[in-house]
Amino acid sequence: MNATGIKFGLGTYTALFLVFLYGPLVVLAILSFQTGPEGGPQFPIIEWSTYWYKHLFGLTPPSRIAPLPIEQALVRSMGLAVMTMIVSTVLGVSAAQAFRRKFKGSGFVFYLIVLGMMVPGVLVGLGMALVANSLGIDRHWWGTAFVLHVVYTFPFAFLVMLAIFNRFDPSVEEAAWSLGVSPARTFRKITFPLIFPGVLSAMLFAFTLSYDEFSRTLFASGRDLTLPLAIYGTFSVEVHPNVFAFGVLTTLFSFALLGTYAVLMTLSVRRAKQTAIQEEA
Amino acid sequence: MTMVAIGDEAQVETTSKRKFSGPAFWLLAPGVIWMVLFLVLPILMMVYVSFWTQTTFKIEPTLTLRSWITFFSSETYLGALWTTVRIWLIVLFSTVLVGYPAALFVGLFVRNKTIQTVLLVLCVIPFWTSFLIRVLAWRPMLGKEGAINLILMKIGVVQQPIEILLFSELSVIIGMTQIYCVFMVGPIAFMLGRIDPSVIEAAQDLGASFGRIFRTIILPLSMPGVVVGGIFVSVMVLGEFATSAALSGRKVNLLGNIIVTQVGSLKWAFAAVAGVVLTILMGAVVAALLRIVDLRKEL
Repeated sequence: MNATGIKFGLGTYTALFLVFLYGPLVVLAILSFQTGPEGGPQFPIIEWSTYWYKHLFGLTPPSRIAPLPIEQALVRSMGLAVMTMIVSTVLGVSAAQAFRRKFKGSGFVFYLIVLGMMVPGVLVGLGMALVANSLGIDRHWWGTAFVLHVVYTFPFAFLVMLAIFNRFDPSVEEAAWSLGVSPARTFRKITFPLIFPGVLSAMLFAFTLSYDEFSRTLFASGRDLTLPLAIYGTFSVEVHPNVFAFGVLTTLFSFALLGTYAVLMTLSVRRAKQTAIQEEA
Repeated sequence: MTMVAIGDEAQVETTSKRKFSGPAFWLLAPGVIWMVLFLVLPILMMVYVSFWTQTTFKIEPTLTLRSWITFFSSETYLGALWTTVRIWLIVLFSTVLVGYPAALFVGLFVRNKTIQTVLLVLCVIPFWTSFLIRVLAWRPMLGKEGAINLILMKIGVVQQPIEILLFSELSVIIGMTQIYCVFMVGPIAFMLGRIDPSVIEAAQDLGASFGRIFRTIILPLSMPGVVVGGIFVSVMVLGEFATSAALSGRKVNLLGNIIVTQVGSLKWAFAAVAGVVLTILMGAVVAALLRIVDLRKEL
């Protein structure tokens, strides 16, 4: 499109749109440097300080403001996210692999899987709590909450892998089979390295979705809090800038994760390219 | 059109549709079993429990319609249902309104792939902050002493701080729009990016104005993106309770909030009724949207 005036107008709009997206987070980051413990979660900044960051790590003298219970919660959330990531990626890859051949009932199975990401968390959470109650099962983050996290992330992994297999050239596999390589070995040596970038994306999706998930966890996790539940707990009480400081730290953590993913992705793409070049030569 | 589609399907049936057996079965079984046990069963349980007898302190598996009657004769519950539908429609509309122009710019006007990717990544980055923190971030923005009031007073637009910005329906709508509009921008930008530029160039050469091109080419071709984005936004907004809990000061009660409070006071049957109503509402909305666009084809 070469309509200059319209392009300029839309460009300006997009800049404003980004301000709308980032504004709250910038304000939050600024307020996390509010003076403590008297400074509140609003403007003006009375005095710049790192008090609330120290407060998070328990490095400040005791005050009436309760610390966020992040230590235990962080460990639980990480463990839960790793478990979810592994299981949902395995389920996603194998289900997508099955979908490469047409079979009867594929439409039904497709929607059954996709349903997992469609149904609101509060509904499956409630349903799971009811099932656990009537069967007399204790609710734990590593049990009832974990299976729900997989219900949520497995469809994402499945769709990512489905998209990857759509662009996949089966002739390389067929070549291996015709040379007498077993299907299992073909998958390990040929298919898997080629779909690895997709698997990485599926894993990243599953990890971050599970790490941030709370509506499913709320009813299903029992007594022990995960990280999002600890933050949700602050909603009902007075909000202090320690939550903001925590938000800044989790965002930085996410960036570290994103960075790791980018590095792994670049490496695997480069390796795939090298293999291609070797084959041509 | 319909004839062709039927013919195609029949052909697929005879040539390549296989029976659900062999390796496909073993690859799918774990996932399918997982979904049946942990997704379908809980939902069925919810339907079942909604007919249980609820007394003040406990719940018994004696079937009754009492909870349903209570739900539909209570102003609170019906009010929550109406609020849910209203907020959903407003947020759906506002995400399209806010997101479409940005998607139009990124998907159609930016032809440099690198800049396009950078802009899309910029839109996604806020997602890397916890959802709840993003919700909470609107409090210091909208409050009486919040950033928006501070700026508006500094530049002299208002003399008194606007109090309606926080702890109102407006704050819930603003918050949800910001949190969910990216789900609209992504699919629309994706669809716009697939439009063949030569089609638009041809229209331009024939002397069509931008408005005309937008109405007859761009808008229709981007509609699947709007619908897919609409599915994302609808599903998430209908199941919401955290944003309204954090930003409305308990003034806005969605069905999700009703479920959370009822579970909190161990009124499982009422929670289940609200849950079933929400499921039906969501199912109807998604089914209607899926009739417009085939999700499997857009992948």
